[in-house]
Amino acid sequence: MNTIGTRGISHVPGPARWVATSAKIVAGPAGGGIHLGVILLALIVVGGLVYGVTRTRRGRVNQHDDGWGREQAPPSPPGPAGPGGPPRSAELPRRDGPAVLAGSPVTPDAAPNGDTSPAPPRPSRAVSFDRPTGGWAVEAHGLTKRFGSNVAVNGVDLLVPRGCAFGYLGPNGAGKTTLIRTLLGLTRADGGTMALLGIAVPAERSRALARVGAIVDEPRFHPHLTGRDNLRLLAAARGGDAAKRIAPSLERVGLAARADDKVARYSLGMRQRLGVASCLLGDPELLILDEPMNGLDPAGMHQMRTMITDLVDEGRTVVLSSHLLDEVERTCDAVAIVDRGRVIRQGPIDELIRGAGALSVQVDCADPARAARLIDEAGIASGASLTDAGLTVTLPAGSSRELVAEINRRLVGAGISVYGLQETRASLEDWFLSVTTRLGENP
Amino acid sequence: MTSPASAAEPLLAEGRPAARPGRTPFPRRLGGSLPTWDLIATKHLELRKRRGLLVTVLVMIIAPTVLILGLRLAFHLFDPAHYGPAGSFSVFQSTTNLTAEFGFIVAAVVGAAAGTTDLNDGVFRYLVITGRSRLALYLARIPAGLAILIPALAVAFTMLCLVTSYESSPQPPSVAMNNNISVPVNLDQGQLQAWIREHPRQAAEAFGPDQIGPGLFRKGSGNGIAAEYSYYTATEDAVLNPAANEMFKIGLWLSLEVGIGFLVGLGLGSLTGQRTLSTILLIGLEIIVTPIFARVQIPYFLDGQRLDVGVAMDQLRPAALAPANLGGPGPGGPGPGGLLFGGRGALGIPPMPTWAMISVIVGWIVVWSVVGAWRMMTRDA
Repeated sequence: MNTIGTRGISHVPGPARWVATSAKIVAGPAGGGIHLGVILLALIVVGGLVYGVTRTRRGRVNQHDDGWGREQAPPSPPGPAGPGGPPRSAELPRRDGPAVLAGSPVTPDAAPNGDTSPAPPRPSRAVSFDRPTGGWAVEAHGLTKRFGSNVAVNGVDLLVPRGCAFGYLGPNGAGKTTLIRTLLGLTRADGGTMALLGIAVPAERSRALARVGAIVDEPRFHPHLTGRDNLRLLAAARGGDAAKRIAPSLERVGLAARADDKVARYSLGMRQRLGVASCLLGDPELLILDEPMNGLDPAGMHQMRTMITDLVDEGRTVVLSSHLLDEVERTCDAVAIVDRGRVIRQGPIDELIRGAGALSVQVDCADPARAARLIDEAGIASGASLTDAGLTVTLPAGSSRELVAEINRRLVGAGISVYGLQETRASLEDWFLSVTTRLGENP
Repeated sequence: MTSPASAAEPLLAEGRPAARPGRTPFPRRLGGSLPTWDLIATKHLELRKRRGLLVTVLVMIIAPTVLILGLRLAFHLFDPAHYGPAGSFSVFQSTTNLTAEFGFIVAAVVGAAAGTTDLNDGVFRYLVITGRSRLALYLARIPAGLAILIPALAVAFTMLCLVTSYESSPQPPSVAMNNNISVPVNLDQGQLQAWIREHPRQAAEAFGPDQIGPGLFRKGSGNGIAAEYSYYTATEDAVLNPAANEMFKIGLWLSLEVGIGFLVGLGLGSLTGQRTLSTILLIGLEIIVTPIFARVQIPYFLDGQRLDVGVAMDQLRPAALAPANLGGPGPGGPGPGGLLFGGRGALGIPPMPTWAMISVIVGWIVVWSVVGAWRMMTRDA
């Protein structure tokens, strides 16, 4: 039945004959199935190779990107300011633009000149743990998540007030990310109740998440799409006005100039910023950021800190999961400490540290040994110890500054010359270590 | 264990606006199960911008047709004495069968990619965090993926139909039946019966002497006029180019083949979360399992063979692509292609009832779609 006119192939020269033979095979008569099979396999292999090559090309990441959308020279030996020199930035005046995404746009030139030094302690906002009228930003009671026999989240009770930066602290493997995934409905809880912005989840998960932006683990995007296209995809999933917020979001995180580059060419820092931009698409009241400082250089961390502060100043709540205590202390108003799946402390940072009785005074005097004995005998401090730095006096929990003056009076009254008194407040790190150490002693 | 600090300070909200001016109203609901147009469009964009995937679609669906027709046209142009027109029936039949094979495979590849891309790229959890229904996220992939495959298929098949229609040799006035007896073409069933009545001796030779009585079909014989007409049309299909309505039917069948490949790939990809595994499994089904099931009757396993969607689709294959009773050994004749790795043709096993064939095809579509959607809705993100 198949009478294909491939007669005379032998008259066709060289390559053309090969092609003609192939055509005969492809369109040949019945019974040529095995040849069809060979061609099928060949095409699959060729297709696979083409696909593989394009994927490999796409996977190449610009290794010399500084995270701010700029090309950098290859890394130079570390100097005082870090490898390759950190990008500079300067505080831009706050925009009075659209309310949704008002705030300081972060640009590569937006940080203070060479300012990579630690920021001065930020005055904490007053945070109340009284029940707010609109419900807590995050509320969880007895939340439990198990993976087989491993209890990743163990009866967590968590209250996050609205309008603050809240740190969720814990060592690696403590269950921070699992709790976030459970709250966001990415995995099912095995027990307990939870609510976001006063809306019960998972019962009304969709409604609650409409006003939540989150980065979990690390921001991930389709590498073959541009940053803008990735945001379009997420905006389409969000619906509403999210698509209109793409450009302002990109501008705000300083990615407007690189928005049309493929994400495969973004550095981790740029992806972090794109992640924040994706969070802003929904005009969120609550942002949950899991380790947002990961992969950022010092200037990037500074910018991220500034952005978080701005977001809180706009009335949003930012929950920051991190194991970087210093960053949390600089950024957050309140914290919860999690260890082995359980929240062991939570509250405003100032109160927690004060409550831990970690205030001490460094005394520079003429006779430290006699001064230590004098203070011990007087019983006005928790303890006095001699160190290489001199005399350190630890004050009882809740002590006022008047006690420092009293120490000075006693020493001077005993004829000891006092050259200086330096009040030292324990850091969050000191407090965290003391808490976790105690836990380690009493598992 | 938890120790919230005492509330000595004023509420944080004091001194700060509770809600900023211009804040958009709280959305009422985002969880509709049907995907929005924007969601479909962006999913389509996401698939379309995968260059490798798109190249694979073009190479496996359009390129074979272009290559075959291009060569045939060129050969005929330069050496018409030796090469017939490109628009012959055999070219049409072989190319369509090849497109069906490749179409299913590339559809499975695209489906598996659509089902796993978000997972593999880590974007799935961010789509879930938007609050959009997971079912809507799954359903959006179906039109998005088909919007890539069907146009490619349409381009290839349209080219083939155009060449077949406009670059063919003049159609013969008659068709050769058994014993090389010529019967006029384009007869309907009544006209064929009239021809048999008028040509009893030739009819007996053409259709077999035991089938034909003196001018009429013999009473009580196994085959009636319907069966003989079917044989006549099948023979006619083998030498005549398909008519427009037949081409349309073949186009629909090709689309169904590609659609099934995509939906099964999507479901399997969503279930396993692994694109490579899903693709390999479906290629194996198409080029190894189905040809065996379609042509070799395994003892005591006939009903099991019929559960293969490829077997059901072979039975549904339009007659022009699988001419029956043309001297082959099996009940359906050999058709084009061979046992392994070949374009399959007519069934080599007893056909199943029509309701069973439809049930198998619908069952594969529904079951794999449900399985994929279920996994998507229950998967940890």
